Amino acid sequence: MKKVLIIEDDSFLLDLEAAKIKKNNYDVLVAQTGEDGMKKIKEPDLGIILLDLLLPNYDGYEILKKVRADELTKKIPVVVFSNCAEQKDIDKAMELGANKFMVKSNFSLEELVEEIGKLIL
Amino acid sequence: MDDLENLRKENERLQMMNENKSDLISISAHQIRTSLSAFKWTLRMFLNKELGDITDEQKNYLDKMMSNNEHVLALVNSLLSLNHSSDTSITFNFKKIDIVNMVEKVSSLFIAETKNKNINLLIEKPEEQIPELSGDEEMLIVVFQNLIENAVKYSDNDTDIKISLTYNKEDNSVLFSIKNKGIGINKEDEGNIFNKFFRAPNAIAKEHIGSGFGLFATKNIVERHCGKIWFENEQNQGTTFFVTLPIS
Repeated sequence: MKKVLIIEDDSFLLDLEAAKIKKNNYDVLVAQTGEDGMKKIKEPDLGIILLDLLLPNYDGYEILKKVRADELTKKIPVVVFSNCAEQKDIDKAMELGANKFMVKSNFSLEELVEEIGKLIL
Repeated sequence: MDDLENLRKENERLQMMNENKSDLISISAHQIRTSLSAFKWTLRMFLNKELGDITDEQKNYLDKMMSNNEHVLALVNSLLSLNHSSDTSITFNFKKIDIVNMVEKVSSLFIAETKNKNINLLIEKPEEQIPELSGDEEMLIVVFQNLIENAVKYSDNDTDIKISLTYNKEDNSVLFSIKNKGIGINKEDEGNIFNKFFRAPNAIAKEHIGSGFGLFATKNIVERHCGKIWFENEQNQGTTFFVTLPIS
């Protein structure tokens, strides 16, 4: 089963996202802090990372930099899934190598799963 | 020289205050979006029957909640645009709108509140068809939502709210009015009613929840459509708000 890593600090949103993604037959790993996210990006066989930006410890940008800098992880697709919706946030995430930027409140979970299906390795 | 230096310092201080204000609004918008995302996804789960069967009546209410949630999201996005735009302008997306249909749809969002207060919400439709008008759909929904919400909120129980829509052929415009029977507006507050963050003391006494942003935003949106908004008022009798909007 393909693995999806969700890095999200809001417990309620994390539960909703994880439940929906599992229902669509993906294996789900979760991290609720930047620190935990930094560890979990090294898990074997990750197919995609769903990344929030505002996180405790390290923010999403730091994690994205780390993913793209490491030979082992640099090809993993990253969807930034955040409620930071300003153009400067989007530009920064895309410059750092995000594959897609989705503003949570503008998308349904069905649309999120569809995007994962398109991008997952 | 001292004057110039003082001016420079004052300018720096104002810039910093403005940045702090923008940061505060961005953070607040992020938090509001996070809550609204949770509502949206949970409501969708109920509507998709992922959590079990729902009755038609439940579906009806959930659909309205979903629709309301989307309107609030649109409003948050617009407020953010307003905040970040140095000329305080929002980019409006103009398209053709059936205004009667829009007012009916927005009114239907208030069924639960009017039922609770035993209020009759009556819509007087025009005798002749109103041509589709050019406007920003999301923004005009905010206008009607604010005016109807206020009318319901500040009405007495067991009263009527009358909405009327008429087409003025001469100047090719539509006149919307909404009349309620309720607390009205005190004489001394009349001049402040469209001011940002203003809430009249009798409004606060009747309903303590409110931002004071609704009528300010409503006026701003109406004027961006080259329209006008005003009211006629009788204290303790009720208020009628009028909005004219040009068809094109």
